[in-house]
Amino acid sequence: MPDLGVASIAAIGSVRTSIEQGLSRKGAAILGGDAEVTFSYRFADAVERDWMNANSERTSEIIDFRSLAVVGDGPDAKRALTQVKGVDSEYPIYGELELDPPIKIDDALGLRDGIQGAIFHPDLAEQLEVDIGDTFMLGNAKFRVSAKLLAEPDNIPSGFQLGPRTIVHTNALDDSGLLGPGTLFSSRYRLEVADSANLDELRSDAEGLLQDSGLVWRDKRNASPSVQRFVDRVGSFLILVGLAGLAVGGVGIASAVRAFIDGKTQNIATLKTLGADRQTVFAAYLIQVGGMVLIGTAVGAIVGSLIPVALAPFIAGQLPLPADFGIHAKPMLEAALYGILAGLLFSLWSLARTQDIRPGALFRDAVETGWKLPAPAFIGAVAVFAATLVGLFAWLSGVPRLALWAAAGIAGVLVVLCLAAIFVRWFAHWLSQKRTLHGRTALRLAFGSVGGPRSEAIPVVLSLGLGLSVLATVGQIAWNMNRTIASDFPSVAPEYFIVDIQNAQIDEFRDRVAANPGVAKIESAPMLRGVITKINGMPAVEAAGSHWVLRGDRGITYSELPAEGTELTRGKWWPSDYSGPPLVSFADEEGRELGLELGDMITVNVLGRGIAAKIASFRKVDFSTGGLGFILAMNPSALAGAPHTHIATVYSTETAGKEVFKDVTSAYPNVTAISVRERINYFARVLAQLAAAVTYGAAVTLVTGFIVLIGAAAAGERARVFEAAVLKTLGASRRRILLSLLTRSAIMGLAAGTVAIFAGGVSSWAVMKFVMESDYSFEPVSAVSIVFSGVLATLFAGMLFAMAPLNASPARVLRARE
Amino acid sequence: MPQPILSLQQVKLTLEGNAGPVEIIKGISMEVFKGETIGLTGPSGSGKSSLLMLLGGLERATAGTVTALGQNLSSMNEDELARLRRDHMGVVFQSFHLIPTMTALENVATPLELAGQRGAFKKAEAELEAVGLADRIDHYPSQLSGGEQQRVALARASAPKPDVLLADEPTGNLDAANGTAIIELLFGLRKRHGSTLILVTHALGLAQSCDRLIELDDGRIGLDCA
Repeated sequence: MPDLGVASIAAIGSVRTSIEQGLSRKGAAILGGDAEVTFSYRFADAVERDWMNANSERTSEIIDFRSLAVVGDGPDAKRALTQVKGVDSEYPIYGELELDPPIKIDDALGLRDGIQGAIFHPDLAEQLEVDIGDTFMLGNAKFRVSAKLLAEPDNIPSGFQLGPRTIVHTNALDDSGLLGPGTLFSSRYRLEVADSANLDELRSDAEGLLQDSGLVWRDKRNASPSVQRFVDRVGSFLILVGLAGLAVGGVGIASAVRAFIDGKTQNIATLKTLGADRQTVFAAYLIQVGGMVLIGTAVGAIVGSLIPVALAPFIAGQLPLPADFGIHAKPMLEAALYGILAGLLFSLWSLARTQDIRPGALFRDAVETGWKLPAPAFIGAVAVFAATLVGLFAWLSGVPRLALWAAAGIAGVLVVLCLAAIFVRWFAHWLSQKRTLHGRTALRLAFGSVGGPRSEAIPVVLSLGLGLSVLATVGQIAWNMNRTIASDFPSVAPEYFIVDIQNAQIDEFRDRVAANPGVAKIESAPMLRGVITKINGMPAVEAAGSHWVLRGDRGITYSELPAEGTELTRGKWWPSDYSGPPLVSFADEEGRELGLELGDMITVNVLGRGIAAKIASFRKVDFSTGGLGFILAMNPSALAGAPHTHIATVYSTETAGKEVFKDVTSAYPNVTAISVRERINYFARVLAQLAAAVTYGAAVTLVTGFIVLIGAAAAGERARVFEAAVLKTLGASRRRILLSLLTRSAIMGLAAGTVAIFAGGVSSWAVMKFVMESDYSFEPVSAVSIVFSGVLATLFAGMLFAMAPLNASPARVLRARE
Repeated sequence: MPQPILSLQQVKLTLEGNAGPVEIIKGISMEVFKGETIGLTGPSGSGKSSLLMLLGGLERATAGTVTALGQNLSSMNEDELARLRRDHMGVVFQSFHLIPTMTALENVATPLELAGQRGAFKKAEAELEAVGLADRIDHYPSQLSGGEQQRVALARASAPKPDVLLADEPTGNLDAANGTAIIELLFGLRKRHGSTLILVTHALGLAQSCDRLIELDDGRIGLDCA
């Protein structure tokens, strides 16, 4: 039964390793060079270019920014957001662009009839309803669509891309007005280095020589760290789901071993009568059970590792990442290790029962009537196996915190389910004794069976309940996140973000937008981008770790006075006429996470210049409303002379938002307007896809739970056949027996489903509140469907195993037991 | 002439065994009248228990006719047979066959409930008291001794006041003292309810204490005497 959990962990691990190896093997092509140096909002200066030329065989310069592609003019013009890549004649150093029609890149980007060529992503062509040969504008520059982009080797999805790709020659953007001072763009320099070059030395040389320049270094050994992180996280999360599957399977093992030992009671009693001591008996059954665990785990690990290989032709086409599908030893061994540990962990408790069976069992029909703890040595061994399993998982998963929380969550849910199962047994027993059930034989039999000895309630509620709990948690989280994104968020979020507004344009822009009666509010702020390079003189990452604020560039604004609604949590804002050394107001929550204090010095690289500023205050920044929020706000004189643009948010009705979009993008071709509504819809779609993927993962847990359920039903079949034979002898009709069998199944399904809703509700509440930091509300439809699924699953298993009791011949069954 | 309560006409029973079909009952004809006590005896494998199962409708005859309380058992389906046992018969087995997930009281009340009798639990309690187990009513079978379990089985069989009591070696798993006590209880209950009793036993003395003695030999009646 845990084989399925082992198989899913092996399968997920194999896919992850396949992607990791694919990313590693194609590192240079994904990166577009052996190494890449990135600068934000500026080109490399002469010193930097000299260093790159001296240390590479070949260099290629790429610029990347977002803009609006416009087709036509006047009120009927069509506009679409696009991620523009400006390239030089060296591009691409590695790999090939795949174009339709299959022409060379130089031909595609070249000048024809006085118009520069451009390559469009097919999605963009579709949005703008253009085809090969049609023209469009980027800012003030005109381009002709010369080819459609089918594959781009150096562009794997790495998070936030605002629009489909357009590729043009960087030179062709000279007259576009899109790369003015302060414009938000990044420049990337891809280096081809000699095979003999040492990338570590090059990196440290670059970072040493060009320190404080704000450069970000990447090389082919870790070409896409954000993708790597994403793959790692999704993989780890899915393995967590696999761990839940392993726990469900473990419950199945415990139940199966218990049934196995119960079936061997007579043998064990006989062995003890003949003088076998407890250790000998325990060892004999440990070897048998251990052998079965080993075989099951090996099968699970091998099958799990083969699944991705078998599905490779289908997966490879769907996956936006390179993957080297094959049999990978590490994930297979990892899964096998988990399987063996879980198998031993869950079987030990049941195996300990061999110690309690006394020779006297030979003389009566031994039925478990009470519950007792195994010997301390067994409890200790169980604890050691559990700690080893969790520790190993925390270590190997690469996300120890998440792994420990998840393990604690699974253990917590198991405890809750166990208590619930005990309560269900007690309640069913209590109810079966009540006068109200007297005369309702089928019901009394059902409750008596659930509440009595040999009850299947504990394994069924545990296994099915855990599977349903995972599903309920995923369902509740997905629903709450969708609700937050699709309904709550837009009610407070702006309709449009507008970036790259030049200083000379901002006042007129505000007046123009405010003139629209549908606009409720406009917020704007000067914006620069900068990378935090040092904290109190030490490299930032060394001082504060790998926090997201330190990864890449962050928005910086400046202001004489605190913006309207600013809430300072510590320190003071600078005087309005302050012109002393640079001061900064830092976002409170992120500051705490980085361990920053008032008076600390942070160095921020803005456009290649390092600005050291003292933290004068901390302030609350709420990113959840979708409005303007800056980690860093400085006094104006600190950024004096730094070229910058403005960012604005427009709060309006949907219709007014569209009017503003058309108006400002026509009036100011250099600005880029981003529809928050479209972004929200995009995120909702991505979220739905993620939720679907996780639901498939959770389904593995549920399937395992269902198999355990079937196992429990099968293990109890012999007892039910006997019970039915006796009942038939006493005069019970088959209908009544069937009703009793199905009622007991439904009771257990109902219990598992109800507990799953509770467990799913609590865990999803915890995730929404503490991880997502968002509101939680209970979603009843999926909850009801969970209970319904529980009842349906147990009814199905009940039906499946009802045939034998119903068709049993009483004489033969009873005679066989004489 | 009184009508027999049970009757067999040229009844045969063949069961499938691992080595092929085995003919257990080889053409038995007999009649049982209301209120009779019959001791059914014979060597192991002679077909005593099988004959008892045929009389209780727990086994279907391969050939011939089994009639109980005027009804032809061969033409009845399984549920009709169950109803017949519910309303008219009580069965006691050598291995007690109590339902392990039910207490003594629940075991005894079950046939009364199945018969739709009011106050099933009160009657069951009284029946358990009659067999001397008033202080054991909430015990599960595994918490009872063999003798106690058989008393529960007796109470369960006699509680609905059956017309026919079928007992298959009820003392076979018990010691002499317990066996004697069970037989005394069995005859006492039979007398109290006026039931017809068919008792399968290896003990010739016990069989001879019945109104009528039938001895089976290799699937046939060897001796039938009062």
